[in-house]
Amino acid sequence: MLHSILASIDLLMRLDTLLMMSFGLVLGIFIGALPGFTTTMAMAVLLPISFFLSPVVGIPFLIGVYKGGIYGGSIPAVLVGIPGTGASVATTYDGLPLTKKGQSRKALDMALAASAIGDFVASFFTILLIGPIALIAMKFGPPELAAVMLLSMLIIAFSGTTMVIKSLMMLLLGMFFAMIGQDPIGALSRFTFGFFPIESGINLLPMLIGLFAIPEVLLSIEEKTKPFVEKSVRPEGDRLTLHELSECKRTIARSTVLGAVIGVIPGVGQVVAALMAYAAAKTASPHPEKFGTGILEGVAAPEAANNAVNGPTMVPLLTLGIPGDNITAILLGAFVVQGLRPGPQLFAQQAPLIYAILFSMIIACVLLYALGYLLIPLFSKVVMIRKAYLVPLTIVFAFVGTYVYRSNVFDLYFLIFFGLLGYAARKLSFDVTPLVMAFILTPVLEYSLGQSILLSQGNLLHYVVIERPLALGIILATPLLTYLMWYRTRKLRNPNPVNGTLPLPAEQ
Amino acid sequence: MFQLPRRMFVAAAVAAGVALAGAAAFAEDYPSKPITMIIPLGAGGSHDLNARVMTSVLPSYLGEPVVVQLMPGASGRIGTAAAAKSKPDGYTLLFTHNFIDELQQHVTKLPYDPNKDFVVVARTNYAPPSLVVRADSKYKTLKEMLADAKANPGKVKFGHSGQWGAAMVPGAALLQAAGVKMTLVPYKGGGPAMRGVLAGDVDFTVAFPSVITSQGDKVRTLVTFADKRVFKDVPTSGELGFPDVASIATMQRIVLAPAGIPKDRLAKLREGFAKMSKDKTYMKLLDKLGENDEFMTGADYQKMREKQDKSYATLVKELTK
Repeated sequence: MLHSILASIDLLMRLDTLLMMSFGLVLGIFIGALPGFTTTMAMAVLLPISFFLSPVVGIPFLIGVYKGGIYGGSIPAVLVGIPGTGASVATTYDGLPLTKKGQSRKALDMALAASAIGDFVASFFTILLIGPIALIAMKFGPPELAAVMLLSMLIIAFSGTTMVIKSLMMLLLGMFFAMIGQDPIGALSRFTFGFFPIESGINLLPMLIGLFAIPEVLLSIEEKTKPFVEKSVRPEGDRLTLHELSECKRTIARSTVLGAVIGVIPGVGQVVAALMAYAAAKTASPHPEKFGTGILEGVAAPEAANNAVNGPTMVPLLTLGIPGDNITAILLGAFVVQGLRPGPQLFAQQAPLIYAILFSMIIACVLLYALGYLLIPLFSKVVMIRKAYLVPLTIVFAFVGTYVYRSNVFDLYFLIFFGLLGYAARKLSFDVTPLVMAFILTPVLEYSLGQSILLSQGNLLHYVVIERPLALGIILATPLLTYLMWYRTRKLRNPNPVNGTLPLPAEQ
Repeated sequence: MFQLPRRMFVAAAVAAGVALAGAAAFAEDYPSKPITMIIPLGAGGSHDLNARVMTSVLPSYLGEPVVVQLMPGASGRIGTAAAAKSKPDGYTLLFTHNFIDELQQHVTKLPYDPNKDFVVVARTNYAPPSLVVRADSKYKTLKEMLADAKANPGKVKFGHSGQWGAAMVPGAALLQAAGVKMTLVPYKGGGPAMRGVLAGDVDFTVAFPSVITSQGDKVRTLVTFADKRVFKDVPTSGELGFPDVASIATMQRIVLAPAGIPKDRLAKLREGFAKMSKDKTYMKLLDKLGENDEFMTGADYQKMREKQDKSYATLVKELTK
């Protein structure tokens, strides 16, 4: 192994690799920052470039786009409250309040530092533990996945800042929205009333932009007397200090571990990691009530976690040749066009090359930090745009972003619908997080539950108890963990705040 | 205050005028702008990869770039419907496969008619699927597996890539031909289904050659659904006594155009794709992807397509009764 690792470093240390990776990172950051353009789309479009490059140049280039894209999504989340992707939903909770306080630069710096550190550490451990990770990933079949999904949803519902009953209502609403369209097992239409445009279901992007960006716009119009950012010479504020970063080291460490663990489980992904890490940071904090009011920990927690997912998701691709998500599927394409078919064969024959690809992920983190640091002053200038222009611009971006995603006019109606729903939720003190979480996880839960029932051949209980000890363990731990999260955050849910000092979800 | 919109209006009118004049002047000069190729499937799949190879070569033969537009959803019906509704001017094409094209109409009500709304430009290649088990499976041959399934209906588990998808149809066609019942477990795509086989959750899956090769000695191939052998020592379904399965089971990658496309434009497209299929770079890249470059003209495929229509009607009827 050591020999392979040394040989791999030799493969990587060339100028064109570093240059193409930097190019990929910058492209990724910009594309990720534009709402409506996903990292997956960027990679699919840029894939042919890698066909004509050597594998140790072309694949690191795509990895650069990948990492840059995942980070880039946090930029609009912090600056205008539009989550570019599902992965940066939780970043809006404290990112936008920080921007409003005139600390957008600090928030962007923190997002960058947490992303780079989380990614670096997780990628490093991925290289060391690639064998065990592959074995654990293999243990997660449909029953285990279903159990993890259920646990995640309950934790989010029971650790929110609103009454549990409200969270559960939002959870059920999210589950309902997720069920519109084709059922995942038998491909039959549900809740479409024979109406073809919604057969493919509701798309995540219009929902996210609607729920987060539109209410923000409406509320800022209501508060038109207040400026978006307090007037000062430099509305973007100061850069992040080392002291502030070191204050968040526990949060970053926790999120990194959580993100990496979630990354090992195939099919869960960045969105869950970010939301769970935010909930975990809040639960563990001595001052949970400050979350959502604009604190740096609230940015660090989700950003470290969603990037920590990246490293371990590469393991099933490299060891088994099985891509876990769309992004790794595109990377698989880049490999095969080079004549390299990831899988047990390739790992046996070309170990140095595989390690070179893994090391390029670590180098990408270092480059991401350097390039991000240079680009942030440019992005943070957004807050200098006057509110009279920024608000209409946000609306334009929300609609254009929704439309370019898959050129479906219907998505615009959904955008408006979810915009109004999000606005109503804010006014009535409902938190939309459980809704988003349920919307993203229900299809996975339903699918894996359906598969588990088929696999059990009709006797689910027997199957789980006898043949699936891991799934059983997760199911048994669910009530305990849920109770723990509920107990730790119960003070936040005082239904009658005495003097209004407790943060209402409207502040989020 | 009122000047800006008015100026914009004038600019828009001028632009529209220029565009119209341009369109009129170059009506015969097709194509004069980029062509959109809709794929009714998601990013990173084999169609996406094939399309990326095609679009990196096609501009040299059509004279204009070809832009891929992914429109996944509802088992391919969303993208297909969009292509069916688009203007038949030769600037919108559909890159799909036979299981979406001819099978979906028998499964559900469609807002389009595949046979009336599309004409075939070309079949770019095909992919012969094979049935694989884990290397340590007790099934050494297809015969053993089918015998076990016959003796114990529902016992053998078949993990496939999704309802009416490219891995499900071949397996289902085989079960129907052999007259056995198994438990069908859908996965979200061929990769997760292969993982299910490797983890021992299901007994077998159906996969394409490039996927099987990458697994090396971790899996064993029992049968290939094709007219000729793909792996030297693996028999075809025909050799094992199922002569009709191969024609239903093979995945055909096809390019369609909305019906009503002017004849000369269709001819130009057909010619362009035929030339692309002989391109050295195209053939090399496809070979690296593990795909063949067995091109078939649109006219020839049209005949094959009509046969598929009938066999899928029977298959779906048998399976859903």
